[in-house]
Amino acid sequence: MKGQAQMYRDVVKPLLAGFGITAKRLGRKKVTIQYPEELREQYPRTRWRHFLTRYDSGLERCIGCSLCAGACPARCIYVEAAENTDQERYSPGERYAVRYEINMLRCIFCGYCQDACPTGAIVLRKDFELANYERSQFLFTKEMLLEEYPGQNLEPHKGKMQGTIALKN
Amino acid sequence: MAEYKLLLEHSDDTAYRTLDGYRKKGGYKALEKAVKMERQAIIDEVKASGLRGRGGAGFPTWIKWNGLPKEKVGKKHYVVCNADEGEPGTFKDKQLMEETPFLLVEGMTIAGFATQGDAGFIYIRGEFIDAAKALRAAIDEAYAAGLLGKNILGSGRDFDLYIHMGAGSYECGEESALMSSLMGERGMPRLKFPHAPLPTISGLWDSPTLINNVETYTCVPFIVNKGGEWYQTLGAATKNSRGTKIFSVSGHVNKPGNYEIEFGTTLNELLEMSGGMKGGKLKACVPGGSSVPIIDAEMCGRAVLGYEEMSDVKSMVGSGGCMFLNEHTCIVSFIWRTAMFYAQESCGKCTPCREGTKWMLQIMERIVAGNGQPGDKELLLEVCSQIDGRSFCGLGDAAAWPVAAAIRVFPEEFDYFIANGKSMVKSSKDLMLVP
Amino acid sequence: MATVAATDTVNIVINDVDLQVPKGELVVEAVKRLGHEIPIFCYHPRMKPVGMCRMCLVEVGFKQPDGSVRKMPKPQAGCTLPVSEGMVIYTDTEMVHRDRKGVLEFLLINHPLDCPVCDRGGECPLQNNTIFYGPSTSRYIDIKRHAPKAFPLSEYVTLDLERCIQCGRCVRFTEEISGDAQLAFRFRGAAMQPSTFKLTDFDSKFSGNVIEICPVGALTSSKYRFRARPWDLETSEGLCLECGNGCNVWLDHRAAKLVRVNGRTNEAINEEWTCDKGKFGHDYYNSSKRLTQPLRREGDRFVPVSWGEAYAEIAAHLGAKSAALVGSTVSNEGLFCLQKLFKDGFGSENIDHRWTRTLPAAGERVAKRHESSIASLEHKKTVLVFGADLANSQPIVHLRVRKGWFLNETRVVVAHSQTTDADSFANLLLSCKPGSLDDLAMGLERAVAEAQKTDVQGFASFKDTEKTTSVKESALREVAAMLLEGNASIVCTASIYNENKPVETLAALAKIAAATGAEFNVYAEGGNDEGAMALGVMTGRNTHEILQDCAMGDLNALWLVGADPLTLHPSRRLAEDALEAVPFLVYQGLLECEAMGYASIVLPMEAPGEHDGTYTNIEGRVQRMQQAVKNPGDGKPAWRVFSELLVRIKPGRPSFSAKEIMDEIAATHPAFAEATYDKLEKEGTPLKPVIENFYM
Repeated sequence: MKGQAQMYRDVVKPLLAGFGITAKRLGRKKVTIQYPEELREQYPRTRWRHFLTRYDSGLERCIGCSLCAGACPARCIYVEAAENTDQERYSPGERYAVRYEINMLRCIFCGYCQDACPTGAIVLRKDFELANYERSQFLFTKEMLLEEYPGQNLEPHKGKMQGTIALKN
Repeated sequence: MAEYKLLLEHSDDTAYRTLDGYRKKGGYKALEKAVKMERQAIIDEVKASGLRGRGGAGFPTWIKWNGLPKEKVGKKHYVVCNADEGEPGTFKDKQLMEETPFLLVEGMTIAGFATQGDAGFIYIRGEFIDAAKALRAAIDEAYAAGLLGKNILGSGRDFDLYIHMGAGSYECGEESALMSSLMGERGMPRLKFPHAPLPTISGLWDSPTLINNVETYTCVPFIVNKGGEWYQTLGAATKNSRGTKIFSVSGHVNKPGNYEIEFGTTLNELLEMSGGMKGGKLKACVPGGSSVPIIDAEMCGRAVLGYEEMSDVKSMVGSGGCMFLNEHTCIVSFIWRTAMFYAQESCGKCTPCREGTKWMLQIMERIVAGNGQPGDKELLLEVCSQIDGRSFCGLGDAAAWPVAAAIRVFPEEFDYFIANGKSMVKSSKDLMLVP
Repeated sequence: MATVAATDTVNIVINDVDLQVPKGELVVEAVKRLGHEIPIFCYHPRMKPVGMCRMCLVEVGFKQPDGSVRKMPKPQAGCTLPVSEGMVIYTDTEMVHRDRKGVLEFLLINHPLDCPVCDRGGECPLQNNTIFYGPSTSRYIDIKRHAPKAFPLSEYVTLDLERCIQCGRCVRFTEEISGDAQLAFRFRGAAMQPSTFKLTDFDSKFSGNVIEICPVGALTSSKYRFRARPWDLETSEGLCLECGNGCNVWLDHRAAKLVRVNGRTNEAINEEWTCDKGKFGHDYYNSSKRLTQPLRREGDRFVPVSWGEAYAEIAAHLGAKSAALVGSTVSNEGLFCLQKLFKDGFGSENIDHRWTRTLPAAGERVAKRHESSIASLEHKKTVLVFGADLANSQPIVHLRVRKGWFLNETRVVVAHSQTTDADSFANLLLSCKPGSLDDLAMGLERAVAEAQKTDVQGFASFKDTEKTTSVKESALREVAAMLLEGNASIVCTASIYNENKPVETLAALAKIAAATGAEFNVYAEGGNDEGAMALGVMTGRNTHEILQDCAMGDLNALWLVGADPLTLHPSRRLAEDALEAVPFLVYQGLLECEAMGYASIVLPMEAPGEHDGTYTNIEGRVQRMQQAVKNPGDGKPAWRVFSELLVRIKPGRPSFSAKEIMDEIAATHPAFAEATYDKLEKEGTPLKPVIENFYM
């Protein structure tokens, strides 16, 4: 008898309790999501992949000032600037970034570049799927970083956007 | 006190503009006397007269004359006359040069004798063509009569006199800018004492240079002729202003014009001489040219014309351009027009004046246009204080004083204009139309 | 404590600290003695103060006999006010801070604040002063002044009028330092702007300096435009080898590419200035025509080879009947190794680096080529510039001579057959007919001899001199009198060897110098030509003879070290014939060039800033330049090539570093005894004078 009681206390009861929890939770909403088929909602201020934003006209916000590179504690941003001309205009004003590269392997996603940006061109958004198979793929170029905008596909040449915005001078 | 005509005594006499007529009225007696005097004796005479600079600052004239080296050290000495009369409201030098040119020529020749000057330059404002013509004729006559050039009156001393026409810059009335302009440089002020030697040591072409106003030089023949002691008695009622002063009265008066008075005359007496107010009661007065602080009617009532006396009403004698404004004048618009003048005439050399005068004008413009912002009055005062005393030369100060004074004396007009977008004075339309 | 003569110093008080400073020193300089700083824009220590920006306002008072201080009613500009006895200066009062804030507010109301796109952003005095002394907000709500952005003032200088704060530094530079007076202020008041007269091109040989002294981004470099930001840059101390002056520069590079050259202060040479050749002439560093690997001719094309193969080929073809022609930017080490390679390795002595029309033989050369140091020229009473266009060939010497004229009343005499920039300030101009400089020198010699009442037999009469040179007797006598007053210097350059009878001309000038006690200088022209002379590189056949021998087939091989005879040699025909005829040609250089087309072997060379080395400037000052940037390809410094090749021919220990070679040079050349890397001084070490009993 003593053995049976002990058996019940040590084995059956916990077993039933355990299954009980399972049975109880069966009816509740599931927390686990089916990644990669499903993606979890991110917090509003999550900082992941960088984007280079544009004005509504399609002109790039980035003016190639290199302040992000100066602010970057990981020294992972490389900017090379060039001069806009009336024929070939990428951004309002005199200067634009002809090369803009971020080494995502080095980036620590601190967001200082976003803080430093005087035009709000570089922003860190919620895209977090940054894994890749090759190290060279982690070098994000300007083409990869530039966000899309509605009229993008209609533009024959990305840079040529005349008369889309009232420019100074 | 009534008018006291000393310099302008024969101004109506056209014969006075020729050498003969001038000599008949006692002209060139002073030079004849000065030729026989010791150099220092002439300077002492000027010292005794208590003559002070008539250009605006009121600096004792004899100190300048005495400041030139007593013995020449290889450099020429120059005598310069500042006839670039650009102060709005002032037109005394124009009349003096046009109607009594020989007084200036004689005065400068005496100054040349007293300071061993080799050459004199009269820097005339570019617009004063008649004045330049009158002076040209006078100088030619003086040369022909041996009163200029080599061996003047047998004294064995030489003195040449040149006329230089300015090109229309107000800034070139500032003595160091005038000298820059005279030397062919851009008309910008140069470093002054204590940053650089005084012009009496190193002026034109780094040589000792005496520079005085037209009116100052024209007083000299009388001082030499009748003695400094006599000149000293004129204006004895004042603290430290001696002699006569020509005031150019303009504005809302019945008889605008030049009035020569003894120092110590009151502003009210000057107003009476010029026929009293026209079109309304006296509201305000700018007693010494546009750059001196404005005073209201109450202050006008107790203002005595004298260098020290005017500071009792927080204003100045300046160059004597006395503008009377009647009760229908909008002070804000008046100051706007003044600010426009200074913004245009700033030479651009120093930051406070270059940027500050423009900013003041922009603030005044938006007030007058009815877009004044709350706080604009305080901002104007602040900008004035950032210009006053910080600029390179006096132009910055001169631009700041009238604005600051107008806000001090008539704050309610500014407040009303800023708050309501229109002038407190009903019929200010006429003034508003001024460009 | 050192006792200072009472007349030379005055007692002043700065922020309640008593001190003595030299009389007449400007307040802005005096406060630095206590470690204080007065912010400035328009003030520049090398130019006359003007007091335009009003940034340096300080409160000043004077000690009264009773011990109290009477303050001046207005604040005073510290950059123009000389100190005087009993002066009391306050740099830290509330009023001073308020004034600085006021001035900065004024400066900023019309400033576009486009710092992110401005090339000056990050190294801008206006930014710095605003951060330290300026207001944090603006009360200006009206429309700012607008002007065209990026107006090209010249090929090199871009003007942005919106950013200009009208400090006048650029205008004063062209008036006071460079002397071409190209810039001036136009208009007045708020519309005032610096520009050239009538908007012509900013045509100056020193225009690049205004970019550096501009306290804002109004004047920027067209070449450096948008190339980098200051925080992207790394900088190294460098030397400019465009001419022999040896200017000190900063080499600013980004990602291993040279992007900008700025002046570096060296009081003995360039003070802080650079010429436009030095500042903008560095395109070759990043040129697409840079040679990157050794090449061997195969038929009518070049194929890349390894250094080893190239060495083997050269070693097989060069021997006693070979020669080398050297360019002007090879370091002392390179020249020394080349000499060693040819002497010890090939058994040939045929090396030359000169490209002038006349190449004086050993006995005819002037022994003392630089009696006056560059810095001493500004203190001379008289400088005779003879047959030299200093502004073009010796820009920094030109600036020094002009500085002497501008500040110290040096009398400048220019004797030349062409117009030069120095004519504008020359007290006396001896402009002679072309090709008559020799007669002019003789005429001058006669004038000196007559003035000293020595024998004048054998000289041409002044009449004849005037006939041949068109220079009048009176002018010659005047110059002679000036030289005889003492403290004079005669300045010639190696370009005199392109004139008629240079040896006789120089001999006459040397005699004049000896007779009058003047210092005599024949400054070298190329970057390291003085080094080549001091090392005695030209030993065997000279340049003309080498090329003639090549053309005649007397030489089997020619090695061109950073030199293209087709552009350098006065006779292009001879150079062509020589390159055509010589059986084996080695071209070692930075860039592809015409002469390369004749080469059998092409070797890439490192540019001066890409390796360690020392260079000797015209006044015999040995200076070291360390590696600043990396070679873009497989290039090697010249000395390494020579030393590695020597090991192949004559087995031994190669030199491992430039330092080692310099030690060897110091041991073998007495003049270089003090010029080892351990002993080189910050400003460079002058060569030790070596007494050589040449004919003069």
